[in-house]
Amino acid sequence: MRTAALPVPADQQPPADDVRQGLARNAVNFPDGIPGFEACRRFVLLSADSLAPLQRIESIEGPPAAFLGIDPRLVMEGYRCRLSETDMRALGAGPDTTLLWFAIISEADGDLYANLRAPIVINPQRMIGRQVLPDEGRYPIRHRLTNKA
Amino acid sequence: MLVFTRRRQEAIRIGDRIEVRVLRVGRDGVRIGITAPPDVPVHREEIYEEIRQANRASVATQIDLTALAERLRQP
Repeated sequence: MRTAALPVPADQQPPADDVRQGLARNAVNFPDGIPGFEACRRFVLLSADSLAPLQRIESIEGPPAAFLGIDPRLVMEGYRCRLSETDMRALGAGPDTTLLWFAIISEADGDLYANLRAPIVINPQRMIGRQVLPDEGRYPIRHRLTNKA
Repeated sequence: MLVFTRRRQEAIRIGDRIEVRVLRVGRDGVRIGITAPPDVPVHREEIYEEIRQANRASVATQIDLTALAERLRQP
């Protein structure tokens, strides 16, 4: 895995501080943080036409952190990850809540991978997010993206 | 680190909401039951660590975003 910073094109540069304050109103709270980034509790979702179907999930609090996410259902047909009662409760979600799902994308040796095992799930109605960590996942942490995603 | 000796079916309480109970002791492993409120995440350490590593690698990933997005948009 490389450790260089994300080379972000000019139109996708991280927002300046005043923009951040505006974004804070649209922040998604991650009450438990994200493993590895426990100090980051507030993130924003950034999308751009040039980025679709990817979205940027960026920390606006604590150490800088930005992930690329993609709907896991675009990566794997029939993808289905069951949320535990704990997850549903943490998200403030009911059985009818529409949730947003993101598989985090990583790169290693020129290949791209989506983390289908531990997706980020967001309840847009409550603006609460969380990374789901199923103990017995049937999906891989590193699912290689082929040309067709 | 606090160290306890526990036998089968004996438990340890952490605060008033968490119980860790030894269910079975075998030659190669110990079966442990954890009772915790739903807001306390409980994970096997290696799984948590694996996800943590994956997240750390993902955030520092070097990706040509535009090229990737374009590739993913192809039918």
